[in-house]
Amino acid sequence: MTTFVTYNGELKSQEELEQHYKPVKVSTWVRLKKHKVFYTMLFPCLVFFLIFSYWPMLGLVLSFREYGFNTGILGGDFVGLKYFEQFFDDPRNWIYIKNTLIISCLKLFVALPFPIILAIMFSEMKNSKLRSTLQSITYLPYFISWVVVVGIMSRLLAPDTGLLNQLIQKFGGDGSTFFMMEESHFFPLVFISYVWKGIGWDSIIYFAAIMAIVPTLYEAASIDGASRLRQIWHVTLPGITSTIIILFILSLGSILSAGFDQIYLMQNPGNANVSETIDTYIVRTGLQGGQFGYATAIGLMQGIAGLVLTIVVNRVTSKKFDSSLW
Amino acid sequence: MRNFKKTFLSIFIVAFTLMLVACNDKSSTINTEKPANAPDTWIADRTITGLVFQSANDASVEMNPEIQAYIKEKTGITLKLQGITSKDSQEALAAGLAAGDLPDFISYYLDNSGRPEMSMLLKASKEGMFTDLAPYLKDTKTYSKYFEKGYLPEDTAKNIMFRDDWDAASYLVHMSINRNVGDIGRKTVGGVYIKKAIVDALGIDPNEITTSEKLYDLAVKIKNGKFVDDNGKPVTVIGPTVWGGMDRDSLYNDLVWTGTTGEKFMTDKSGKVLHETQTNYGIERVKYVQKLMQEGLMTKEFYTMEETRAKEGVVNGSFAIVSNMHNFITENNDLTYIPLGPIKRVDGTNDMVISYKSGYAGWAIPSTTEMPEHIVKFADWLASEEGKLLYFYGLEGRDYELDEKGKPVVKKELLTLLKENPEEAKKLGFRGVGSYWGEHLGYTDMDNVADFGELTWGESVAKEDDTAAQQIAKIYDFDKHLKEARIIDGLSVQSFLYEFEGDKGELTAAIDRYKDDVLRAYYAKDLTEAEAILAESKKNLESKGLSNFTKFIEDKIADGVTIKY
Repeated sequence: MTTFVTYNGELKSQEELEQHYKPVKVSTWVRLKKHKVFYTMLFPCLVFFLIFSYWPMLGLVLSFREYGFNTGILGGDFVGLKYFEQFFDDPRNWIYIKNTLIISCLKLFVALPFPIILAIMFSEMKNSKLRSTLQSITYLPYFISWVVVVGIMSRLLAPDTGLLNQLIQKFGGDGSTFFMMEESHFFPLVFISYVWKGIGWDSIIYFAAIMAIVPTLYEAASIDGASRLRQIWHVTLPGITSTIIILFILSLGSILSAGFDQIYLMQNPGNANVSETIDTYIVRTGLQGGQFGYATAIGLMQGIAGLVLTIVVNRVTSKKFDSSLW
Repeated sequence: MRNFKKTFLSIFIVAFTLMLVACNDKSSTINTEKPANAPDTWIADRTITGLVFQSANDASVEMNPEIQAYIKEKTGITLKLQGITSKDSQEALAAGLAAGDLPDFISYYLDNSGRPEMSMLLKASKEGMFTDLAPYLKDTKTYSKYFEKGYLPEDTAKNIMFRDDWDAASYLVHMSINRNVGDIGRKTVGGVYIKKAIVDALGIDPNEITTSEKLYDLAVKIKNGKFVDDNGKPVTVIGPTVWGGMDRDSLYNDLVWTGTTGEKFMTDKSGKVLHETQTNYGIERVKYVQKLMQEGLMTKEFYTMEETRAKEGVVNGSFAIVSNMHNFITENNDLTYIPLGPIKRVDGTNDMVISYKSGYAGWAIPSTTEMPEHIVKFADWLASEEGKLLYFYGLEGRDYELDEKGKPVVKKELLTLLKENPEEAKKLGFRGVGSYWGEHLGYTDMDNVADFGELTWGESVAKEDDTAAQQIAKIYDFDKHLKEARIIDGLSVQSFLYEFEGDKGELTAAIDRYKDDVLRAYYAKDLTEAEAILAESKKNLESKGLSNFTKFIEDKIADGVTIKY
């Protein structure tokens, strides 16, 4: 039975309509030609990723080969899973994994609300000049290298002569605590310096997301009698949830990489038990010890763990929050 | 479509050109045709690029243009040096060797074959990364002396340059070899130093502080004396070395299981070779350090302080005792600090010990270098009298004049400039003023008195006893110590590591890790934790074959090999 529908005031059969709307199959070449400007713009990016991201991946074969100066990366003898066994056989390596996970979790989960809160505070500020000034001030630490930041910390926290210890002395304390050297202070110091350095920069995206929320939603909430706090809770936070989730998933990929520069610079004999992470261990064994295959194998494990975690969390958030990377 | 093709084509051309430019850097032109007016010392018209795996100051890659022009005129060579900035020179060397793209020659630290760099260099040599230099070295004036019997110290000859397993080939050139046996070069007084003002105030004889116990008693006296620095603040009783925080044995020599090499190996009374972990010395030292720190006698930053802060402390007189420095440190030009001790070693001695002949750094030529004979000839020219004169004294007329014996006489204004503005003086670009570019290829076959008529640069022009260095040498009674000094030659224990374990490097890594573990033990919460750290380190060493290694060394001794500890 033929189905008829009204189209532009005329009665048309389904076949006629399908023929009218049937998409013309266009060849890839024609499409490339049509969007040539965009593809040209894409080309350097593709070259960049091929050279700097995909080409180096070839080096991962070193995880299964013996490195030789004469044989290079691809030509060494095949050693199977030797390096992976070596890693899991050493009981100290479990401590490095634990340290990495603790630092990563501090940075991923505990530090997560801070830039969001800052972005919300900025968005609530009425005086735009003051807001811009404060935003600039909070962004600035991001541009200071970790070498300088850790240098400043060392000076501020030095025993006897550091600012903090001198303050403690002023208030009658001993003032000889070596904060940077003590195990118990390591994680708090890592966390505080990390948040201080990155909070302004990380808040930029959240602030942009807040600005994109339709103002009428706030007006509607206001008419319904919602206070500023209620508006933040019921309008702002739901409005930026997808941004938070996407940024969170993106950062999950590096959960087994606790941030090399900061940790490496803050390491010292006193905190060695808690400050040795997978990244610093790779540098010590791979570069200082010249065990390139072993270091590559650890790096490969790190990458795979990050990839698996990202895929799993992406799947979960896709189902639960209807928000995902792909 | 045409535009599209054009765009792609232009991008491709630009990318290809960039790639060519990047790759072209190394293949500079070499012209071997000698110009008609060129001197006999002319080698070739080419650039020689060297990559130096040393600290920025030691590498001294910035060269003075006039010095460069002189080299070019005499040899046709343009010398270019590149440095690698890294926290650790060993790390930089490993990365550089792995990257493979090395320039005409490389230079690295190598005091002796026991250094961790050695295993990497041996692996690289074994795998064909370097050129066999033996045939070229034989054909030189200075370096050919390396083939003379007895010229090289045993470690240099047997372990570094002419190894049995290399079948007469030689891939690594060891530097800083003195021409004469037992030559000490300049009169260097290194070790623990103390503020002269404190010595005078307490009325002590610094030479009598010869044990760590006596040093502790002195530290307590200093603390009770409530001495202040130049800014009126209380002094830190025991400060780090003038170069910053590090674990140097000199402060507690009698608690370190070693001789003069610093390697933690020694023989006990029965002649058994032991590592420090197999004795109580490690934990005794930890106890000592923890006691000093807990009682506020030693700065807690003793092992970690940055060099700038340590030097600032020395300049301000903030440390009563500096755990290590020497008499040529410019920060002590006003003689604030004088030598203390020295603390006796575990064997009860504290006399001066001189190496048969020393060695310090080394160089090698990658197998990819075109015409390596040019680099060897250039190194030989730099090590010649003419090359050394240029490197040590700069340019005749500008920096020095020759006396009737043909020896250099330094211009007095340069001595003043060096004293008042060392950075400006350094720009003149020679060793006397602190520029070390010639160290990498030319600093060997040393005999300053014979070559220049003086032991150190400018010594004959400066007034007698003018410098702090000379005064300290007098206070220390250097000449008397030198007269009574012992000359030792032999192979250090760790120089046998490669022979013992080959490329595996597990025991080497474990020995290296022990140093870190001791540092951790110093900062452990309590003695129990420190003991656990050292016990774990011992276990690790044993699992990597420590006992077999010490047995291996004992067998070597039985075979008549001389070991130095």
